Formats: sequence, C-alpha cells, structure tokens
Amino acid sequence: MDFKIMPKSALPDWVKKLTILYRVVAPVPKHGQIVFDEITDPSTLTMLYPQSVLPPKKYLFPQHEVMLNYKLDGSWFEANIESEPTVVLGIHTCDLHAVKLFDRIFSQGYADQHYQARRDDIFLVSIECLTPCTDESFCRSMGTLSATSVFDLHLIDLGEDYAIEIGSDRGESLLNGFKNVFNATSTDEERVNDRLKDKWAEFPYRLDFDVTELSGLLAENFSSEYWDELGEICLACGQCTQVCPTCYCFDITDERSLTGEIGQRTRTWDSCQIDMFAEVAGGHNFRKSRAARQRHRFMRKGKYQMDAYGLVGCVGCGRCAEACLVGITPVKTFNAIHKRQLEKEEA
Amino acid sequence: METPVAVKPKIAFFDFTSCEGCQLTVVDSLADHIELLSVVEIVQFREAMSERGEDYQIAFIEGSCTRPSDEPRLKAIREQADIVVALGACAHLGGINSIRNRQPLQDVRAYVYGEEAELFETYPARPISAVIDVDVSIPGCPINPREFVQTVKMLLQGRQPEPPDYPLCIECKSLENVCVYLRGKTCLGPITRAGCDAICPAYGDGCEGCRGIISNPNYEAMKAVLDWHGLDMAEVEAKTTMFLTYQTMNMDEKKENGHGH
Ligand code: SF4
Ligand code: SF4
Ligand code: SF4
Ligand code: SF4
Ligand code: SF4
Repeated sequence: MDFKIMPKSALPDWVKKLTILYRVVAPVPKHGQIVFDEITDPSTLTMLYPQSVLPPKKYLFPQHEVMLNYKLDGSWFEANIESEPTVVLGIHTCDLHAVKLFDRIFSQGYADQHYQARRDDIFLVSIECLTPCTDESFCRSMGTLSATSVFDLHLIDLGEDYAIEIGSDRGESLLNGFKNVFNATSTDEERVNDRLKDKWAEFPYRLDFDVTELSGLLAENFSSEYWDELGEICLACGQCTQVCPTCYCFDITDERSLTGEIGQRTRTWDSCQIDMFAEVAGGHNFRKSRAARQRHRFMRKGKYQMDAYGLVGCVGCGRCAEACLVGITPVKTFNAIHKRQLEKEEA
Repeated sequence: METPVAVKPKIAFFDFTSCEGCQLTVVDSLADHIELLSVVEIVQFREAMSERGEDYQIAFIEGSCTRPSDEPRLKAIREQADIVVALGACAHLGGINSIRNRQPLQDVRAYVYGEEAELFETYPARPISAVIDVDVSIPGCPINPREFVQTVKMLLQGRQPEPPDYPLCIECKSLENVCVYLRGKTCLGPITRAGCDAICPAYGDGCEGCRGIISNPNYEAMKAVLDWHGLDMAEVEAKTTMFLTYQTMNMDEKKENGHGH
C-alpha cells in the first residue's frame, strides 16, 4: 500500500489550499442534517458524519441538467456540457462503490458525455468508516465497507493523523507542494493495519444470508406475495429512489422559447416508484401497481445490476431506510424474502 | 414545425369565489414577463383593467363554484372559450371554500351572514370542473408564477401543458429539505402534486395539499402515516380538509360504497 501521513491539525490548511485551485465539496451540517455542499471555509467541514441526505452523486449526475440547446428547424444544435474541476472530499466507501457502478453504467453501450465530462473533472477523496454511520446502514453485508479502486485519495483516521492512501497520480497531485505530508514509516503501516483490522467488529452483518445468494434468491421469488404486501403500505412517494446513490433514472423534457424557434432539453431525476414512470405512449402503464414497482426497485438493487454490470445495485448506505415513512427497507425486505424461501424449502 | 402565433389570441380572466390572490400573481407574472403581452390581447381582467370584451379564445377562471347562479356564468364562458384554464386551488380543487362542505349548510350560512342568512344563496363549494369541462389546470394557492408563464407559453404554442403528476416528496428530497416528520410535524407531501419547489417543507412546515392530490395516491397509507404520527381521526380529517375537502370526501364516499382501494 502506497500511503502518506498528514497530521489532522494540517487538514484545514490543506483544504484551504485546495479551495483556491478547485471547487471543493464536502459534508457540512445544515438544519441538523448533513449535506454535501461547496465549502470555502474549511471550518464548516466535518469528516465524521452520519449519512448525507443525498449522496455526492449529485456532482456526477445532478438533479436537473440542461443537455442540449437547439433550433427547432434543425439548423443548429449544441450539447451543453457543464463541468468544473471538483474535489469531493470525505465521500464514504459505500458511495465510492456506487460511483464504481455508475462508471460502468454510464460508459457501457452509449457513453454518456455529460457524465464522462464531470467524472473526468472529479477528484474523489474518500474516508474510511470506523463505526457505522447510522443504525440503518448495512455496508458490511453488502461488501462496501472498504474502499474500492475508484478513489484518488483515501483517508484513514489514525487519531492524531490521517493516513492517506494514494489511488491515482491525479490524487497524488492534490498533495503536491503541501509541506505537512510525510512518507509513512513502518510503524505507520502497523497503525493503519491495526485500524483496518479492529474496525470490523464494530459493524454487524444485517442480512441473514450471504450477499452472493441475493440475486438467486430474488430470481426465485419474483412472484412472492411479499411484493403485494409492500404495495399495500408503500406511499409511492419516491423518497427512497431520490436518496439512493445507485439510482440513475431520469426524465427528459423539452422547453421552447415563446416564439418557438429555440429549444432546450433538460434531464431531471425520475423515480420508478411514481405512478407515471412506466406509462408509455398511448397511455399504457406496464407497472401500474405499487407492488410491481416495489418489486422492480428491489430486483434492480439485488439482481438486475448484478446481471448487467457485475456489481450489486445496493451499497447498503441505509439512506432509503432512513427516508421511508412506512418503514420499507432493503434489509427487512431481503430478510423477509429469505425467511419465506427457507419456509418454502422446509415445507 | 408550427409557425409562431400570427393573430394575437384574445384572453380573458374571470373570478368566482376566491380571494383574488391568483389574479394578483398573474398581474405580477405579466409585469415580469412583458414579452407575453406582445403576443396576446387581454380583453377582460377585472383585477387590472376596466374594458370588457366578449370575444376571447382563452378563459382563465379563478375561484370555485359555490352557488346556483355561478353555473350559467361558467357555462357561458365555456360556450365562448376554445380553452378554459382553472386558475389556482379554488377553481382547480374547490379549495379553501370547500371546507364548509363538511358542515350542514344552514349552520355555515348562519355563521357567516347571521340573521340575513336566508337572503344569500349558496351550496357546497366545488371545483369548476364539476360544472364545465376544463382543459388545463394551474394548481396552487396561490399559483406559481413560473408555472403560469409556462402554461401560457405552451397554450400559445398549441401544446398541452401538464402540471407534474408526481408527489411533492420527489421535489422536497431533491432539495435536501429536512423532512418535516423529523421535526415532529406532519405533511401531505407523499400524496400531493409537486411543482411548488416544496416551499412549505423548505420553511419547516408540512404541506397542506394546495396543489391537489396526485392521480393515483395511496390515501389509506397516507392516513396511516398521519395516525402513527399521533393525529387522531378528527385531526387527520382537519389535515385533509384545508384544500382537499371536495376530493377527500369523494374518496371516502367511494370507499364506503366499496369502490376504493
Ligand atoms: S420511500 Fe417508502 S413509501 Fe416512499 S416510495 Fe419508497 S418504499 Fe414507498
Ligand atoms: S437501496 Fe437504499 S440502502 Fe441500498 S444503496 Fe440505495 S439508498 Fe442505499
Ligand atoms: S454505510 Fe457503511 S460505508 Fe457507508 S457511510 Fe455508512 S458506515 Fe460508511
Ligand atoms: S417534508 Fe413532506 S414532502 Fe418533504 S419529504 Fe417529508 S413528507 Fe415528503
Ligand atoms: S408545499 Fe403543499 S401546501 Fe405548500 S405550496 Fe406546495 S403544495 Fe401547497
């Protein structure tokens, strides 16, 4: 492992320096919650935080985005690509795994140039979680509790210092010229290893089975009555998908200027939980029932993404569980399906 | 491609039972978007001018239908206009005026007009769509200026404006507001039509549903959530009565008749 040591007391200076060169976004408290926001003053930043309301994916795939400007007669059109060099500071490892999934989704087949431009401009500076961020998180069960290759720098809290693992040359360049970073000694390596070893006991497994069984389990339970039970209580409010770091559905709308010559195309986050989502031309809705929509959501998280991209579609961040007003959560759902499967097998 | 509007369409504004707040928002919106005034001709607008023309193509109607004499007036407007737009919660939903629908009418009249109650004709308040066909609704109490301008633009371009038909929570979460349920309050966001930028939750208050209910709400689950958050039956009724009496009374009735789900 290639890493450096930075005294914690030097962090504000380093961040201050980064803000001169880049837009720096980081977790900051807002009305008693944590949100990712641009920081100019390092004192507002907090590196030990419960889950942010929205994941930092909003910097890769924003809530609203103008994609295209054009003339309606077809004589002119131009893609609108908005991006600026941005350091995402303090991203949790679960959210890193979600970025890894996004990298595959947005590059396979049709490569999304809006995503790519932002992705190329982003530096991911992640932080190792040493205790569960909330009661609802279940990263350990989903295999997302340690960093995955996509980070540029990865911070590990050693008490007085941060160990900084270098993930890329771009990441290393963020430390260039900063005098308060040191090469790690063999004692530092031991401290890091101890930290990483000791933390696992803090994180309970919350799934009753191994995540590798999830895809098969869901496949076998496509027709489970459990989905109808979820459909009864689900409000179809869409909060769960809005907050999810691995949701990427969007809707496209076109606006025209008053006299109709100029058009603008915008994409906005969409949700498979809302009634209109699966309505197609002619008014047919192929996922009219809430039960079918809940099933679709959990199939995507536990099976479809795995089939298509080789990565599990839920990173265990627990945001949807925190948001849901009727207590529908991935842990409860997956465990309930598992329990019924066992009962079926026994019968 | 459609050609830009050649002849200026004539538009007219009408008010029924309402506070005129939506018309004031119209005045403000037009002041901020004077380009609209160069492509339409306003022939009636009591709130802003004294002339009256009867040859309008687009009618904007503010206010709910609250008495028998409203009906012929509404029908006459429908007869003349090619496009009828319900402007704001009163016209769109019945709105605040329909709170009284839950009480006996004599009591309401006596309360408002005292001894002269019998002189005033009135009946349960309804959205104008209960009396005439409505082509477009601009929801809200008051309407959202951006949505008004957008609607006018689309009508002039010959497109059908469609207010969002998804719940407010979508908008609220994308703005990272604190869910008011976490503040110990309650909110109708999960069943209310988005489009107001979740303005009430953004300021820490629960949504009262002024933009109306989405097409396919889980109303029973919504009531259950209100119940879990400590609202008794009367309070749940009060919560869904501010703007939504006409809709929720219909939903409750349907359920009693065994149609609802
Ligand atoms: S947050 Fe809960 S109630 Fe809302 S759509 Fe998701 S599962 Fe349904
Ligand atoms: S499904 Fe829920 S727990 Fe899983 S990644 Fe999405 S928000 Fe997080
Ligand atoms: S879910 Fe796990 S990995 Fe993600 S922030 Fe919470 S503790 Fe960290
Ligand atoms: S405050 Fe209301 S609209 Fe916002 S998320 Fe909560 S329930 Fe939904
Ligand atoms: S939050 Fe609800 S009550 Fe407030 S303006 Fe929006 S729809 Fe109306």
